[in-house]
Amino acid sequence: MIDFLIGLFLATLIVALFTSRLYRLILWYSMNSLILGLLALFMGTALDDRAMLITGIATILIKAIGIPYLLKNLGAKFHFVRQIQPEIKVQYAIILIPAILVFTFYLAEPITHMIHGNANYIAISISSLFLSLLLMMEHRNVAPKIIGFLSMENALFLLGITATDGMPMLVELGIFFDLLMAIVVINLLFHNEEANL
Amino acid sequence: MITYLLTIVVLVLIAPLLLDFIKAFKMLLLYKRPVSLFQGYRNFAKLMQKETVISSESSAITRVAPFLVLSPLLVTLFFLPPVVQGAFYVSFVDAFTITGLIALSTFFLMLLGLDSASAFGGMGSSREAFIAALVEPAMVLTVFSVSMMAGDLGVGQAGVNLAAHFPKEHMASFLFAAISFFILLIAENGRIPVDNPETHLELTMVHEAMILDLTGVYLAIIESAASVKFVIFASLFASLFMPFGLQYAAPVAFGLFIVKLFVIAAAVAVIEVNTAKLRLFKVPNLLGIAIVFAFLSLITFYVLGA
Repeated sequence: MIDFLIGLFLATLIVALFTSRLYRLILWYSMNSLILGLLALFMGTALDDRAMLITGIATILIKAIGIPYLLKNLGAKFHFVRQIQPEIKVQYAIILIPAILVFTFYLAEPITHMIHGNANYIAISISSLFLSLLLMMEHRNVAPKIIGFLSMENALFLLGITATDGMPMLVELGIFFDLLMAIVVINLLFHNEEANL
Repeated sequence: MITYLLTIVVLVLIAPLLLDFIKAFKMLLLYKRPVSLFQGYRNFAKLMQKETVISSESSAITRVAPFLVLSPLLVTLFFLPPVVQGAFYVSFVDAFTITGLIALSTFFLMLLGLDSASAFGGMGSSREAFIAALVEPAMVLTVFSVSMMAGDLGVGQAGVNLAAHFPKEHMASFLFAAISFFILLIAENGRIPVDNPETHLELTMVHEAMILDLTGVYLAIIESAASVKFVIFASLFASLFMPFGLQYAAPVAFGLFIVKLFVIAAAVAVIEVNTAKLRLFKVPNLLGIAIVFAFLSLITFYVLGA
């Protein structure tokens, strides 16, 4: 089941790389976070780790529902450009994405020898880190860049919960606050930009 | 052996029913009064009785091509994985053969479109070639990667192996292959994001443009070929990506298989209602996603073993 969810995690990220509409991108981000939350819940039950269950629920509430809703509202308020054509053409993306995946899978190989158990999860989380970076790179507008940043955070979170069998709760909550701060900063940024106009 | 033949006969018989089910389910979702599920059979009977008119411009190809469109698809039906445990199946046919047979059928369909010498036929043929060229590599990769997971290159044997031992440890790459194959199912059968089977609008039609000049018996043959193609893809999806329930008693397993086909048809209908048709030059993007997922499933399987 965890394999299935990790596959879905990567799949939603790859589909997000090909979308050219902002609201659809936000939807894929929300799906991505939802799957991450479910993953945390499943791993939490498997490891019998209550802290991870709480983080999973917090992930679903904040990242899968809260932040996408907030972003959509912000988008409506500040009239974000909703037609976001990726700068990297689809033809090149088709070559680039598998190349990145192969590269990161081999990159992660030395690490996977050090960890017993679910070693391949690390490779997938590192590759989704790179794909989020690509998502940030391939768009010129601010809103998709924010989404790329947020999905990079998702990938790090996945790396955390799979590689270490659960980070300390405090660190995860810290990351959540970090993320909310980032959203607040972005909000301020837009306010400022509006004032300048 | 008798189950094997019976399966093929039933698959051919329910082929029009499945397409009508998609149409009826779509109409139901759009709050329309659905068409009868047996409209396909009625159309077939009516077309068989109609006079067959052949354009004076067309060559002998028009007379033979409809049969050559249908026959590779009928041959493919014999190579599908078994739906009941213990049934006869052909184990050695691999991804290349099945893709090749489907491509052969598409090739004759394109020839048929060109042969009518109308502007629409050529247009439809070129578009079909454009789509088919992108579908085939992805299809070979996908079926290949699933057969690798099952541990046998033969598609029939792969279906049996998957049912006997589901690859839980390869769930991630299995999922990528399933996504890829579902996109191919939509693209190759001309369903909505790629082609709209219900309109005759010159900007959008692909499949309809090629068969615009056909009448009577030939049209009936081509229509049944289209439905048989859908059945092939749906049953490949059902036996490769939903490989459960084969161990039950033969009638139950068979019934379950038919239910799976209808579930796939319902999924296609839901997607059709929820998406707009893509522009023709956006179709490579969709098929690009399919190719990426097919490749991804192969490398995830090989490199990570996941």
